[in-house]
Amino acid sequence: MFGSLFTGFGYWDFGSWLLFFILAGAMTTWLRSQGRQDYKKGTEQDQIYFSGNELPDSEEITVPASSSYWGFRKALKPYYDKLVAFHSGQTVTYVGWFLVTTALLMVLVIL
Amino acid sequence: MSWSVHLPALMLAVPLFGAFSTPIVALGGRRARMIWSVLISSVLLVLSFCLLQYVATEGTAVYVMGGKAWNLTLPSGMAYPVRIILEVDSFNSFIAVIGCFASLAGVLFGLRFLDRFSGKVWYSSLYFLLTAGMLGLILTGDLFNFFVFLEIASVSSFGLIAYWRDRPESIEASFKYMLVSQVAAMMVLLAIGFLYGRYNLLNMAAVGKVIQFGLAEKVALVFMITALAMKCGAFPMHMWMPDAYAEAPASVTVLLVVVSQASLVGLCRIVFSVFGSAIVGDVVPWALITLGMISMFFGVSMAVVQHEVKRLMGYHSVSQVGYMLMAFGVGLLAMGDPRQMADFGMTSMKGGIFHMVNYVTYKGLLFLVAGALYYVTGTRDLDKMGGLAKRMPFTTFMFVIAAAAISGIPPFNGFVSKLLIYESSFAVHPALSVVALVTSILTLASFVKVFQTAFLGPEKKEFSKVKEVPASMVLGMAVLTVVILGLSLFPTWVVSHLVEPAATALVDKGAYIGAVLGGGI
Repeated sequence: MFGSLFTGFGYWDFGSWLLFFILAGAMTTWLRSQGRQDYKKGTEQDQIYFSGNELPDSEEITVPASSSYWGFRKALKPYYDKLVAFHSGQTVTYVGWFLVTTALLMVLVIL
Repeated sequence: MSWSVHLPALMLAVPLFGAFSTPIVALGGRRARMIWSVLISSVLLVLSFCLLQYVATEGTAVYVMGGKAWNLTLPSGMAYPVRIILEVDSFNSFIAVIGCFASLAGVLFGLRFLDRFSGKVWYSSLYFLLTAGMLGLILTGDLFNFFVFLEIASVSSFGLIAYWRDRPESIEASFKYMLVSQVAAMMVLLAIGFLYGRYNLLNMAAVGKVIQFGLAEKVALVFMITALAMKCGAFPMHMWMPDAYAEAPASVTVLLVVVSQASLVGLCRIVFSVFGSAIVGDVVPWALITLGMISMFFGVSMAVVQHEVKRLMGYHSVSQVGYMLMAFGVGLLAMGDPRQMADFGMTSMKGGIFHMVNYVTYKGLLFLVAGALYYVTGTRDLDKMGGLAKRMPFTTFMFVIAAAAISGIPPFNGFVSKLLIYESSFAVHPALSVVALVTSILTLASFVKVFQTAFLGPEKKEFSKVKEVPASMVLGMAVLTVVILGLSLFPTWVVSHLVEPAATALVDKGAYIGAVLGGGI
């Protein structure tokens, strides 16, 4: 049941992964325990460091979903402009691409 | 005769009975309707397990509707298939079980999710009608019967997508799906017409036995492939999918996910069991691989930039279907060559089938989580959410499991099926694996975005009174979580006992024909 699953090229073994995970977890816990011991919960040590500035209202520092991966989208703007325009939302486009795909495949298969 | 021989028919009769009896039972009140819905779904799940067990012990189940024999023996001695046959082997019985799990999860989730709205009696009826359509698509061995179930599933989907009929977006999504679906359905009907005109046969096994790869068959195959690829959401015919998945109630979206997979089951049946080795050349396999690759990449590209949670997940569905199409394309490519089949074809088929099952579970769960977020916040816009993890610990926990699974993070089930697909597709061309890997990374990126914006971060003032969703909704999500964990913890057992027999049944056209027709027609 927990045996190895051979893919023909390699294998996946849940038991080995679990063993590795436990060992890695134990090692991480040990390393963490070697750190500073003077942390006190509820003191100013808990405060967020905001580049020396006063911390704004909590909702103002939220990164909204539409701002996530801003750089990624900015770098690929021409690609996304085309891809978004492709999704026009018009039923003519929906049926059109369906028929174009069918026609293209038909030509390829018949030839 | 044991009652278990009737299991294939019961799998269709029970949800149909549920659909038509619900309005009558609902006269007994809200509680009666709820209990009845859960009872029907639970019975269906038990029956699906019985069917899986029956097929595992007795071999392929062939059920003739309305008669004992599938054939009419002519005076010349020729046996001619005349009746509707349900054919259940290791492949479709396995998919049916997972479909029934998803159906039960949707029923449980919908009990409270839709409690604030009207029209629940018709919702329940259409839900079971959709379940019947889905199971019919999976279990039938008859081409025309397949078309009928395709239409049953489509019509009930249109109604359920437009459930919130006061929302113009829902009506629009339903209309768009209806338009494209009907064009696809007519193509399927034309394809069936082409085959019937050539062979006077509608039985899949019988057609598979005599089929040649002539012009009419090529036209039929192309119509079938594009129509069913559209139904399962392949790029560039996927555009209805984000609309429909986003606008349908979450409990319905789970079932729509299964229906898309039922269409893929139909596609596999046509390509492998009806045509199979009759397909000459590499054009068809490469068409599937190409559709898969572009679906994977463009689907996930669009998902990354969405900030409406269900639309994001809808685009991910396009991407996930791409993995399966690519896997089945690779399997088909290797089909004519036993050495290639042993080297990478079978691994690819196993990866594709396992991914189908995994996709139903984790994507179903993700849509339910999206529904839970909508239930408590009243919005699907991720920009307006934040800090919900503390308020919704169970939902958060189950979201993390589903997100990790869909992103292919070990040890979850998505990783195992993706590993099989990566490695087998690499044998055909490394570029296939590269696209699949990049898609997985982008999938992870977009679900990190959902996790960070909806569940983490500072709590929003307007959600300070938010509580975890009601128990029945948690239970609905838990059903799929348990299945995901089961598939993740015991991948070796699942692959060797369920996935491998399913893959073998799918690629062995001779066994399929032999099981249904025996000596011949």
